[in-house]
Amino acid sequence: MALRLTVADLDAGYGAVRALQGVSMTVEDGETVVLLGTNGNGKSTLMKCLMGLVRPTKGMIGLELDGVRHDLADLPTDEIVGLGVALVPEGRRLFPKLTVEENLTLGAFRKAARAKLAEGLAFAYEAFPVLLERRKQLAGTMSGGQQQMLAIARALMSSPRLLLVDEPSVGLSPLLVSQTITKIGELKQRFGLTVLMAEQNFHQAVRIADRGYIIVHGEIAFEGRTVEELRSNDLIKKLYLGGAA
Amino acid sequence: MFSFELLLDAVVLGVMLGCFYAAVSIGLSVSFGLLDVPHVAHPAFLVLGAYGAYALNQAGWDPIVAGIVLTPLFYVLGVVAYRVYFETFEKRGSDAGVRGLAFFFGVTFIVEVGIIMVFGVDQRTVQAGYIGKAIDIGDVRIPMRMIAAFGGALALTLALTAYFSLTFSGRAIRAVAQDEIALRLMGANPLKVKQLAFGIATAVVAVAGALLIIVGPVEPTTHRVYIGRTFCVVVLAGLGSMHGTLVAGIVLGVVESIVLTLYGASWAPAISFAMLLVVLAIRPQGMFGR
Repeated sequence: MALRLTVADLDAGYGAVRALQGVSMTVEDGETVVLLGTNGNGKSTLMKCLMGLVRPTKGMIGLELDGVRHDLADLPTDEIVGLGVALVPEGRRLFPKLTVEENLTLGAFRKAARAKLAEGLAFAYEAFPVLLERRKQLAGTMSGGQQQMLAIARALMSSPRLLLVDEPSVGLSPLLVSQTITKIGELKQRFGLTVLMAEQNFHQAVRIADRGYIIVHGEIAFEGRTVEELRSNDLIKKLYLGGAA
Repeated sequence: MFSFELLLDAVVLGVMLGCFYAAVSIGLSVSFGLLDVPHVAHPAFLVLGAYGAYALNQAGWDPIVAGIVLTPLFYVLGVVAYRVYFETFEKRGSDAGVRGLAFFFGVTFIVEVGIIMVFGVDQRTVQAGYIGKAIDIGDVRIPMRMIAAFGGALALTLALTAYFSLTFSGRAIRAVAQDEIALRLMGANPLKVKQLAFGIATAVVAVAGALLIIVGPVEPTTHRVYIGRTFCVVVLAGLGSMHGTLVAGIVLGVVESIVLTLYGASWAPAISFAMLLVVLAIRPQGMFGR
């Protein structure tokens, strides 16, 4: 059981706009790595590259699984999901006109997860009791916090090994942000997941992180090997704590 | 001239007719209702299915069996039609809807002219033991051919409802128009899902076409009366609702049947368009729309 994600010298963009430049990073088995940065610095683009939704123009994305190496930059999204990578996308992207349960069930679409559908649903309802109460409700009619819970539960339905979470705090109240981050931490422990989370809320993100990267204008500006290194970094002070750089 | 018996007759026949309308519309409920494809060639495919049943009936096949046998062929037709539409229109951008309308309008005429070239312009009918017979329930006389259509409609609705709620591919079809990227993140390929859906929508049309020619004679231009009816049923149902399609078909059937009884047959073709406009004006999400 070994997993390692390696991103090396990655460039990506939209037309003439370069969103990522020379990004290199790694995520090791069992870690929770946080990708910090304010809006528009390339966090979501990196997440999309990892899922095959955006094709990098240069560089390499390697996913090593039990000794086998896969180049994610060349694989279509469905095959990346098939390897056991799941993304909780920014803005949640639920199917608004399907019920909670139908959303969860679609989360188990990949072949390996279908057989474990009943088990997965039981887990999801146990972890998020509010979803059980609302299983027949249309996803689009729930509150933002409940939708975020559903988006996380849906991603877990595919029994991923690597969970990518893009901006879970967007549009949520501070209390809900805190609950969501705590939940991600709990689920990570319980499922033995490896987590890469992009987040702009520094204080919340570092609560569950082992280490992290700061991304500024599409480049990795700082690598914090521990949470303490992140906390004491000048960039963090400048970006989040209002101090002078 | 108004009497209770006459009205009862009209309602019972209207329900039967309505189920038939649901059967001929349910494929469009998938292609237009669930996939948002402006499939105006749907009624032309329906007539093509009717002629397919006619051709096999000439060789001695029962028309319903003929319709079922033709489903794989129509599935392939649907997949090819969608693939051409996707490569030439949908893939290229946001105005696919309007330009797709032109594409399917063209397909309609190709099908119509194709049928004329092969079968001529005359009306065609099919033969089967049950066609022309009727059973009496109380005072109401119900033609057997309408019962065949009624049964066919129920079977199609049940089969599609079960497929869309119980299978992974069925659920993916319902999700694909809501958020394609999210569906990709679930590990599905949206193009394959839509191709499958369009294939199924067209396969169902083979059976519905057989019902069409069982219910009455068909000619190459028959599709023109059905464009209003099928779109009326699908919009009234609420786009993409299978059981809604059945209910909406029955509503249209009963209204048509009553108007026909009270004011005469010349009004019948106008009713579906009138209802379509009224629904779009006052409840555009339809009866069962989400």
